[in-house]
Formats: sequence, structure tokens, C-alpha cells
Amino acid sequence: MKSSYNGQAVIILENVSKRYFLHPHRVRELKRAILHLPTFLKTNRARQPFWALRDVSLTIRRGESVGIIGPNGAGKSTLLRIVSRLAPLTKGKLSVRGRVSPLLELGAGFHAQISGRDNAVLNAVLLGLSRKEAQEKLPEIVEFSELGNFIDQPMRTYSSGMYVRLGFAVAVHVKPEILLVDEVLAVGDADFQRKCFDHIEKLRQSKATIVLVSHDLENVKRFCDRAVLLNHGAIAAEGEPQEVVDEYLSSHFEFSAGAQEAGDE
Amino acid sequence: MRAVSVAAPRRFDLSQLARTWELLLLLTVRDVKLRYEGTILGFLWTLAKPLLLALVFSFALSRVLRIDVGDAPYVLFLLSALFPWTWFQSSIQFSAGSFSNNAALLKKVYFPRFVLPFSAVTSQLIHFLLSIPILALLLLAAGYRPGPEWLLGVPVLMAIQLLMLAGAVLLVASFNVFLRDLEHLVEVLMLLWLYVTPILYPLSLVKERVGAIIYLNPMASLIQAWRDLFLYDQLPGVDIWPALVFAVIALVAGSIAFKTLEGQFEIVL
Repeated sequence: MKSSYNGQAVIILENVSKRYFLHPHRVRELKRAILHLPTFLKTNRARQPFWALRDVSLTIRRGESVGIIGPNGAGKSTLLRIVSRLAPLTKGKLSVRGRVSPLLELGAGFHAQISGRDNAVLNAVLLGLSRKEAQEKLPEIVEFSELGNFIDQPMRTYSSGMYVRLGFAVAVHVKPEILLVDEVLAVGDADFQRKCFDHIEKLRQSKATIVLVSHDLENVKRFCDRAVLLNHGAIAAEGEPQEVVDEYLSSHFEFSAGAQEAGDE
Repeated sequence: MRAVSVAAPRRFDLSQLARTWELLLLLTVRDVKLRYEGTILGFLWTLAKPLLLALVFSFALSRVLRIDVGDAPYVLFLLSALFPWTWFQSSIQFSAGSFSNNAALLKKVYFPRFVLPFSAVTSQLIHFLLSIPILALLLLAAGYRPGPEWLLGVPVLMAIQLLMLAGAVLLVASFNVFLRDLEHLVEVLMLLWLYVTPILYPLSLVKERVGAIIYLNPMASLIQAWRDLFLYDQLPGVDIWPALVFAVIALVAGSIAFKTLEGQFEIVL
């Protein structure tokens, strides 16, 4: 492993595999399930296994920035979901040390009828802070969001810009130990993207561990100490970002042909 | 090779427990605020609904059908059971969609998910607690004297109903992720359940006719205990055992359903 980091391992995946089942004709309505009971029982059993990840072993150490690249359907997002415990794994072992936050799940759980202030606190607690920490950070969050008096208004009165600003202000102040970023950087205007990268850079300097899933190979080269290339759910290459990116590009056409079969992530 | 072991870091450590509790608290406060914010009548509506319902039933059942409920005024007889029942019914109804309606959140952030249905139970509990003083006032006005037994009886019955609800909402909310129709089915079933529970009529009335089968209804003994407490200052006795049994069953069934189904949420949501 070409890593200059000798710190404590914070994310360890040992032979992690993840299987999904594809149900071509799954029925989710009671009415149809009852009306077509024999067909329901038959088709609901006709499922095809699909391995989104196969035997992935990966160790990420404290303070490291790791970029995950690969074609569509390679398992990049699945990997991130497994690390964030949103998806249970089928086989293997996972251990994560530290507070994991997804970057910029902007406004996850915001409720339009209550004030920006209340939403900010709830959002911060959802993202991993304690209530006390959230209350302490609140003045900074309000300041950063530039919402002024609007902070005590119900969020239904907000413009979409204000909505995003509050979400971002909370995300910035949560200060995770492990930050997971999933291609969200493609969303938002240029100014907003710059703010995101400033934020990632700051976290990097404060020794946070970062896992970045991206299609933007330039960003991976710029921000990551190490890159991992996934293909068909397995690690195809790992090492210096420049080398891994080159390898990916040189075999790109093969991969994209394969990804068509594998389907979407 | 089938062995799956996830080293869940610090699952039972204190900070995780504290965070779960804080989330539950914040969500409960949010729900209660949502109910009352901006409307002076918010809380009044919470009370007005069972009160108006009581008037309707009172007319239909005590004037038209002339059900004999003993010496208590029918409205008080009814409300002493209807308030705890409303807590039960609305908790289950509001929590049914708590996973399926929060898909966006569940897909993005990991947190102890059971706080979502639980917060429906706790916020409805707040409404119920707020209705107790109203009931006490009505009883006083009718010449009853709410006794110190309430101080012990209310927490005990509340705890039993809370356990029962915790299990029930986990069960309903988990299954509703996979069969959304359950939400609508639950609404109808709750109405049916209201009629088969001795709320509108005394327990003795059905006990004569159907016998001990009435205790197969998990709410029968519990509702009777609430009524005995509120109307006659009677502390719950051994008669409460069916409710306790059902509370344990609900809790076990709910936990198992939630644990097995939670892993599949990601596929369906």
C-alpha cells in the first residue's frame, strides 16, 4: 500500500461483499398481492442476486484523503453507504472508529413548518453532534448562513438559496472525524462548489479523514493522497491518485462497456 | 462464509444512548410544536376532538340506546376511557408512516431509526398528559374527588401503555415500509378496535355475554384500569395482567420485526 500515513486505522473493511437482489416483478401493493396471490408468491421468489461489492478489503488511516473512482455501477456509492452504516453488508467485516458524517446531505430532515433555528439544531444532532454542542454552535451557524432575522421564521418562507445556505452552515459546523463525500460537488453553482472545496480543504488540514467518491478525476488528483479504482464491485487498482487515474483512463472504454451490463448503482 | 460480523463501534456506550435520547426529545418537541405553533386553538382542538366525540356518543348511546353505566354521568364515564384510547390510537396512526414518509432522511443519515416512530408515541403522550387536568376539572365539577391514587396509578398505567405502544409502533411502522397500504388499513382497524374495546360501554356488559374472551383484546383490561382509576380512584390490581402480557408480546414482536426488516429498508425506500 503506497501510503505515507501511519496513523491509526479508522476505517477497516475486510473482505466486504454486498449482495442485492433484483426483483423484476416485485409487487408492493396489498391489492395486487391479494388479487394475484399465486403469481405474487411465484414472482416474489424469482429474484436474481447481484453483487455490488465483492471481497473488498481496504484500510483507511486517520487524516488520509482517499478518492474512490470507477465507472457507473462499479460499487462506489455502495461502498460509501456501507461505511456510513446506511447499508448492511452481506459478508465480511467492517469497523469504523470516529464520528462519520456525510457531507452536504443538505437539509436532511428539515421541516418546512418550524423555524430555521429549530431545524438547524435537529439537523446538527442528526449529523452527529450532541444537543449541547449544537446549541453552542448555533450562533456561528446563524452567522455563517447569513439568514439574519429569518432564522426564527418557519422554513416554508425560505427561498431555495436560503434553504441550502442553512443546510450548508450546519454541515460545516458539524466537524466530522470522518467525512464521506458522494459526488454532490456536481450540484450547485460555481460559488457554492468553491465553498464546498474550501470546507473540505479546511477539514483536511484539521486532520479529518476524507473519503471522496467522484467522477471528477481532477478533483481526486488535487484532493486525495490515495485513490482506489473500483470495477464490477472489486478493487481494480489502488495507490497514487495520478497512477490510478491513468490506469482508469487507459482502460475506460472496456469498463464502460461492462458497466452497461452491471446496471446502475 | 455466511458469517457476518459487523464490529459496531461503541454501540452501547453512553454517548450513543444520550444521543438517541436527545434525538427523541428534539423530535417530540418538534411534533408538539407543529401541533400548537401559530394556533391558539391548537391545544384546544386536541381536547375538543374527544370532547365532541364524547357528546356524539353520549347522545347516541346513553340517550338512544340507553346503555347502563352505573351512577357515573355517561360523558365522564366515556372520557375516562376515551382520553387514554386517543393516545393509543393516534400514536399508532401517526407512527405508521414514520419510516416510509422519512425516506429522504433514512437514506442519507444514519441514526437510531426507532426514534422516529417512538417520537409519535411520546408527542401523543404529551397531549394525553395535558388532557388529564381537564378530566380532573370535569370530575370535580360533577362532584367527584380525584384522589392521591392518581399519582401512583397514572405513571404505572402509563408505563404499561408506553411499552405496549413501543412494540406496536415498531411493528406497524416497519411493515408499512414494505406494504404502504397498511397505513390505511390501520385507520379502519383502529375504528373497529375502538368498538370492541369497553370504551363506549362498561366491561361488565360484554363480560356477561362473551366471557373471558374479552381479555384477548390487549386494550380491554388496560382501558378498564384507566377508567377505574379516573372514576373511582381505584389502583390497578391483578386484573391488569392481560395488558402486561400483551405489552411484553408487542415489545418482543416489534423488536424482532424492526431488527429483521431494518436491513431491508435501503432496498425499498
